[in-house]
Amino acid sequence: MSRNAVILGGGQCKWGVREAHIMDLFQEAGKACLDDIPGLKPKDIDGLIVATSYAGRCSFQVNTAPVVAERLGLKPTSICTRCDTLCAGGSTAIILAKGLVESGNADIVMVAGGEKLYTPQKWEVFYSELASVDHDWEAPHGMGLPPPFFALTAQDHFNNYGSKKEDLAAVSVANYNYAATNPVAQMQKPLTLEEAMNAPSVVPPLTLYDCCPITDGAAACIITTDEIAKKYSDRPLVYLRGCAQVSLNNLSVNFPGAHLADWKHTRLAAEIAYKRAKISASDVKVAQTHDCFTISEVIEVEDLGFCKKGEGGEFCSSKQIEIGGKVPVNTDGGLLAVGHPFGATGIRQGTEIMKQLQGRARHQVKGADIGLTHNLSGANAEHTILVYGLEPVK
Amino acid sequence: MSFGIPILDNLYPATMDLWPIQAKEFNKVFPFYENLKQGRFTTTKCKDCGHVMFPPRGVICPECYSENLEYIDLPTKGKVLIFTEEVKGVPLGYESPLIHAVIDLGVEPCRRMITKIVNCPAGVLKRGDEVQLSVFEVPPTPIEKGRAGTIMAERVFFAFEPVKK
Repeated sequence: MSRNAVILGGGQCKWGVREAHIMDLFQEAGKACLDDIPGLKPKDIDGLIVATSYAGRCSFQVNTAPVVAERLGLKPTSICTRCDTLCAGGSTAIILAKGLVESGNADIVMVAGGEKLYTPQKWEVFYSELASVDHDWEAPHGMGLPPPFFALTAQDHFNNYGSKKEDLAAVSVANYNYAATNPVAQMQKPLTLEEAMNAPSVVPPLTLYDCCPITDGAAACIITTDEIAKKYSDRPLVYLRGCAQVSLNNLSVNFPGAHLADWKHTRLAAEIAYKRAKISASDVKVAQTHDCFTISEVIEVEDLGFCKKGEGGEFCSSKQIEIGGKVPVNTDGGLLAVGHPFGATGIRQGTEIMKQLQGRARHQVKGADIGLTHNLSGANAEHTILVYGLEPVK
Repeated sequence: MSFGIPILDNLYPATMDLWPIQAKEFNKVFPFYENLKQGRFTTTKCKDCGHVMFPPRGVICPECYSENLEYIDLPTKGKVLIFTEEVKGVPLGYESPLIHAVIDLGVEPCRRMITKIVNCPAGVLKRGDEVQLSVFEVPPTPIEKGRAGTIMAERVFFAFEPVKK
């Protein structure tokens, strides 16, 4: 009998500027995760994958997984390792856990991700983030911090497809308003279109609410098989139906599209993930996409196939990303408003999709049976997609 | 009094270095930087399959895995396709305005290359402007050479600047 991976439960700590050590954040996330699955005890968990990128940089700790295991009282026997895919680390760890439980090499795996980015002096955070892109070839040009790269991306989208600043602002408004009632979000204030349009400039055309914040935080979830999950929970099973991770370039000079707003690698990742999940874009009822910047979400709804290429701006500003729209996107607030502690983000997204499919999300999409998570990482150098569903792939 | 923290004793931490370590003792693409010191912008070409790549590779051709590579010159002039200017809040180590541009050097694989634009005040650059290579010195790397002591390996890096009209 085949083993099908499911996400059994998950949780996150409060994200933001946290007065805590990275290992405090992992403990808070681990507790939130197990609180979500009352029957599950630490001793039941046989594997741990820790997603973090800046442990070893902003917090001085490499080989992070055994440290997290000890702090959480876990004694892994199948896997205990760390994974670094920057912004996609959490989703990558979920993909790896899926492979381990479906192949029978693990039974119950905790996937935990987290970052403590704020150092006692802030210059070190910004300086260290220069390590996020190609160190020798792109960071020295001042491209390490992502806003300039996505500012250029937005210009290419404006020039080639006629989208405009109002479309970007519509994404900020939607995601901030989703997060306004989310108690663990970094930003918990409603935002008006006027506020978004009049925000201070960061890198033209991006302004304050176009950019996700720098975030301390952690999240954790449990990946296991459907048969094991039934012993611990009466909730609907949420299957990991299919996934893909695509990397066609690292340096932007080798960007695979015709310009920076043409995300060929996203389309390829979607095509492969949909094929493996046996769905099409029109089956997706709710999505958590990588809104590191508003322009990212505009392009993602196009290249994930929710609307035609070039119409992402109109799709967002006509509220198709909000509850009642064609595909509600980033229903917990996304990276823009919940925050973005890199390794934790994919776990936060997967947990939100799980809640949507189980009918217990804060902003519930009625009848959601298929959902997806998407991440880009680095200077738009890699795309990671996971498709979740209430039924296994047959 | 020592605090036991090397950075406080004025040592050089490579892990906090923004610039590439370019010396031949640490990097097989050192000829790129040697060429750059001569004002040449170069990359590697595979002598077996003819593939021209960027960035240059120190060991193999990514297409055919041949180790038979040679350095060739790239154009040192190009055109600005798009750009954005960071005026406030530029990262540590940079001067305002920090101008980022996608430029076209006119040859593959450098038709859409992201670079910093230097020697240009804010509000002056336009799309389509011609830019040229600008090479500048960056702080040297101290390298321990056994009994010979510590040498200072000189370094350069590149950006592009407007061609004066």
